[in-house]
Amino acid sequence: MFDILKKTLKTGTVTVNYPKKPDIAPAGFRGRPEILSDKCTYCGECASVCPPGVIWLEEGMSEKTLTLSYCGCIFCGRCEEVCPEGSIRLTQDYELASKTKDALLTSTSRKL
Amino acid sequence: MTVETEIEIMGQHLNERIKKIFGRSLHIREVDAGSCNGCEVEVNALSNPIYDIERFGLHIVASPRHADMLLVTGPVTRNMELALLKTYNATPEPKLVAAMGSCACNGGIFGNTYASGGGVDKFLPVDVYIPGCPPRPQAVIFGLMVALDKFDQKIKRMEVKA
Repeated sequence: MFDILKKTLKTGTVTVNYPKKPDIAPAGFRGRPEILSDKCTYCGECASVCPPGVIWLEEGMSEKTLTLSYCGCIFCGRCEEVCPEGSIRLTQDYELASKTKDALLTSTSRKL
Repeated sequence: MTVETEIEIMGQHLNERIKKIFGRSLHIREVDAGSCNGCEVEVNALSNPIYDIERFGLHIVASPRHADMLLVTGPVTRNMELALLKTYNATPEPKLVAAMGSCACNGGIFGNTYASGGGVDKFLPVDVYIPGCPPRPQAVIFGLMVALDKFDQKIKRMEVKA
């Protein structure tokens, strides 16, 4: 029994103080993808490789729009790999929960 | 005052009441609707000493009849569709539904095929979406806090103290 008590005291508290203290994800964690609108050329390469198909390119008469939905994104990082300009990047942000689906969309557009 | 605004105000009051009722404790029933078990591993991790959601008054229970919230993982497969609806009907009102993981949000990697329903929101009204494949336990805690607006309250309280 003393051994168990000794072990308990030695270990101390392991519980993370998460919602009070922000917890930063470890390096290399694949979190929320981010589109850098100034670098994007709207080639549609990322949209064609996305496994769940949550990136789509809309080509209208006057503008092109690239939309990414975090809802359904599997954070595989393929878009980051194939982007020739490096305009999609995965951040370490994981606090994505939201009450509506529209809040989980991110888009960038350019006038032709 | 139009009827719409009246209904909106009533809805807000109801929302506040639900938060008051649920504020201190929330009992969660985890429903596996055809998940790959990645999300279940994270749900298991939620109740270990490191993340320990019991300290917030969140409990994972073994029956939908004891639960206030359904935590649904996985795209709703054909086999689990009826089971999910039965579970939802067995949960007493007022109830919340949280879609955990990318599959539950939008079908995810399983897409919209003959065996996959393509998201929980096609079958049930979803209150909170928690994307991630799988979401970190911290992300799940964040999602549950969003569901209860507990997070905002906590931030406000911390601001008042500081």
